[in-house]
Amino acid sequence: MKKLLLALLVASTMIFPIFANGETETEQASGPFVPQQNIEWYCTSSPGGGSDIFTRTIIDIINEEGLANGQNIVMQYKTDGAGEVGRNIVSNIKGDKANYTLLTFNSGDLMPMCKNTNLRFEDFQPIAHMAVDKHLIFIGENSRFSSFEDVIEALKNGEQIVLGGSKGDDIACYNALLKELGVESTQFAYIAHDGSGAAITAMLGNHIDLLISKPASASQYVEAKRLTPILALSTSRFPGNLGVAPTLSELGYNDVESPNWRSVIGPKNMSPEAVQFWSDVLGKVSESDKWNDEYIELKKLVPDYMDTETYSAYGAKFQADYLKTIGKDK
Amino acid sequence: MDNLQLLLTGFISVLTLQNVLVTMLGALLGLLVGAMPGIGSLAGVALLLPLTYKFNPTTAIIMLGSLYYSNMYGGSFSAILLNIPGDSPAVMTAIDGYPMATKKNRPGQALYTSNISSFTGGLIGMCILTFMGPALAELGLKFGPAEMTALLLVAMTSIGWLVGSNPTKGIVLTAVGILIASMGMDTLTGSPRFEFGSIYLLGGVPFIPFVIGTVGFAQVMKLVDEKDKKIEANLTQKLTIKGSMISLHEFKRLIFPALRSGFLGTFVGVLPGAGATTGAFLGYATQKAFKSEEELGTGAIEGIAACESANNAAAAGSFAPLLALGIPGSGTGAVLLGGLMMWGLNPGPLLFTNQPEFCWSLIASLFLANIITLIIALGIIPFLVKILTVDVKLMIPCITVVCIIGSYSSTNSLYGVIIMVISGMFGYIFERNGYSTAPMLLSFVLAPLLESNMRKSFIISHGSIDIFFQNPISLVLILILFTIIATPIVRGIIGVVKNHNKN
Amino acid sequence: MGNSKFGTKNILPLVTLIIGLLFSSLGFFKYGFWDKNIGTLPGFFPTIIGILLIAVSALAFFQSLKEENNYSKLENWYPVFAVFLIIASTFVFGMYFSLAAFLIFWVRVYEKCSWKTTIITFLIMFVIVFGAFGTWLNIQFPKGLIFNAIF
Repeated sequence: MKKLLLALLVASTMIFPIFANGETETEQASGPFVPQQNIEWYCTSSPGGGSDIFTRTIIDIINEEGLANGQNIVMQYKTDGAGEVGRNIVSNIKGDKANYTLLTFNSGDLMPMCKNTNLRFEDFQPIAHMAVDKHLIFIGENSRFSSFEDVIEALKNGEQIVLGGSKGDDIACYNALLKELGVESTQFAYIAHDGSGAAITAMLGNHIDLLISKPASASQYVEAKRLTPILALSTSRFPGNLGVAPTLSELGYNDVESPNWRSVIGPKNMSPEAVQFWSDVLGKVSESDKWNDEYIELKKLVPDYMDTETYSAYGAKFQADYLKTIGKDK
Repeated sequence: MDNLQLLLTGFISVLTLQNVLVTMLGALLGLLVGAMPGIGSLAGVALLLPLTYKFNPTTAIIMLGSLYYSNMYGGSFSAILLNIPGDSPAVMTAIDGYPMATKKNRPGQALYTSNISSFTGGLIGMCILTFMGPALAELGLKFGPAEMTALLLVAMTSIGWLVGSNPTKGIVLTAVGILIASMGMDTLTGSPRFEFGSIYLLGGVPFIPFVIGTVGFAQVMKLVDEKDKKIEANLTQKLTIKGSMISLHEFKRLIFPALRSGFLGTFVGVLPGAGATTGAFLGYATQKAFKSEEELGTGAIEGIAACESANNAAAAGSFAPLLALGIPGSGTGAVLLGGLMMWGLNPGPLLFTNQPEFCWSLIASLFLANIITLIIALGIIPFLVKILTVDVKLMIPCITVVCIIGSYSSTNSLYGVIIMVISGMFGYIFERNGYSTAPMLLSFVLAPLLESNMRKSFIISHGSIDIFFQNPISLVLILILFTIIATPIVRGIIGVVKNHNKN
Repeated sequence: MGNSKFGTKNILPLVTLIIGLLFSSLGFFKYGFWDKNIGTLPGFFPTIIGILLIAVSALAFFQSLKEENNYSKLENWYPVFAVFLIIASTFVFGMYFSLAAFLIFWVRVYEKCSWKTTIITFLIMFVIVFGAFGTWLNIQFPKGLIFNAIF
């Protein structure tokens, strides 16, 4: 008898954890989508990074404003294979689960995905584009340049210049800049660092000539006068203390920009009703005060909500342009 | 003594009941999280970050700071008791900590030594931070790619000292470690390297499962041999704090390594890219150059003291670039940075000027966390030692479960578990045949840093080797490097010449 | 027990030699060695280390011919088999169940301990796994095909 009770106790403690996650499904009526179970939100970079903060901010806003029918949103970090495994998993999710899966996706994810795997934008369901980030070029305190015109002069004289930045979208911007200026990478070299922090460190220590970075990482150094922006890689000047930097068109060239966008996508098999639902939710998030005042302001991003249709077109074009630059267009 | 005054104001704001309680909570959580293999300070801080949202920024950062810091204490617990490092800095602690706990039957003393050394190292780090923080951060900036390359080359030669009795086998595994580390995404070119077509290997071999497997799981396999040995009464030793205390003589033995490593570790913590793991390793390697009463690697107090002190000092040191310049020195620093920004603070060169109360409260709270963590850590030693009295037969399945959970948690997938078990198999086979796996783990950590810095140096110098000799810091380090390499060769030549002259 | 015949101790250096060969050739031919403008290419470092490894492995191989063998017992490998089984079982039954089954099986059936020991061990590990990792740190362990199908 004792043994039986013990066995039952053990068995019940084993089953318990299974019930702790997730709730049972109810039948989905056809009609507008309302979440009835836990939602899994995938993030393919490690906790604490930009994508993580982006995702968590949105989840917080959704929870605070009760936009997901009170259902739990669980974050799933899948950083294996530099994030490719996580993206692969999401693209393959089928069935009802597809309506409850979301993925944070940036241009910095799209580019290595196209370069190193066979996955493409079409393998996912775009939901909404949330914000955009653009780049600037900076000099340090004891730089031998005082403006970007000096840099152009130096390049014309055959001098060698080293530009430092992070990986991913910074590199794409550098490549676009090379093309526009008409110089070779042998003269104007690039060093990819593990993150903006590392690149800024290198600049502050004067180990590189120029720095390419985004406003969020660099603005406090501009305020402290350790960095000075000398070029805005955008179609218009930046606000605030970054406004001293001209754009390329002011210097007689075509503007160059390589926007680093942040968006949310889902598995290809997500139902149209669910897509509509999530797109609306994200639209509401993008209009909320918390999003604009606490996140966008802080990170100095450019808010740029695009709903599903607009984003699908935008993303597809971005990918096509990128594939052309790496020679993979079919 | 401006800074001292500011520090005192920091203390005043920290010593509120709420803040003290929060520090204790952070310390306790940090100890637990640090002790669990697979959850290092990065994951621990990131996962516990949401807990702090409720509090105001000062209280929240105090909690996070004490969490991060006490993690360094906790990591050594499982390293000493189970030979499974709780996080990467603890890998070195296991080398002397585990033999002292098991072979020499003095687990309480090992834990005691580790805690005291951690405290000392942290204290030194914090004092340096207080008085020289910003200056130290600026010094760190001067270490560009060329300087780091030279420094890391010096560090790599000291792996040679760790290699032990059979240099050939040691170098084999050092090289294997470097090659394994080169698998994955090559940052400098953005292309994959040696991934052999596997989507998982695109991200390389993750370090934590690799360590858990090589050290921890291999240990489990070894334990099978000890199943039948009777656990003798190491229960004769009283399981009280008193019983775990070390003698005055032993205290004297540990204090110098701890002080030395404290200074070294603080400095290493400031350097870009180098963190607590590198600090612990360099602390241990430096100790090899000095005399230790017992031989290093067999359970010497000096060994534990050197690396534990260094890793806590490095943790304190890494706050210097974070607070003074807004540059996170490590992944965990990046999480702290993110947390700071979420609370509306802007870490950067102006943080000290714009938010002095915040900065000094944080630094004051680190001192407080150090003391509180020490007290808690010493207090739980008797409980921890009891773990060792568990029958080996039960340890084997339990540690297996912990290895699986830990490696799963660190990568959030079964890939980590697979890496763990494969590393365990190889670790066991190698150890069994006389190859020591410690050099492999260390070269795994250092080699990527060395390679990326070397390649960056060449890009900056456009292919010329002059860059290493032009900068004063790197020139000095290169000279040191040549001295280290040349000395045994020169000695050998002198020996041969002497013999020749005798004839 | 131990003899000088050919065994694992000799195979190991050969394995590392092959690894060295693999990395250095891939490094040299596929990833590139040196570029006069940017200096070292991705293959530079691995190639050098690979060649070093080949040399040292050869040395170790000749050394190993004089050494004694140190054989392990099959029992040492039981934990390895167990882990592989647990991984396979996790796909179907989920991690909690697989770990629980493993613990109970190992302690009770393999080590032949009493039920009391088994239950206590199980409960302690349960607290650690479910309580600390699963609930507090919120790590999502795989639920396996069966539970995924039901829920």
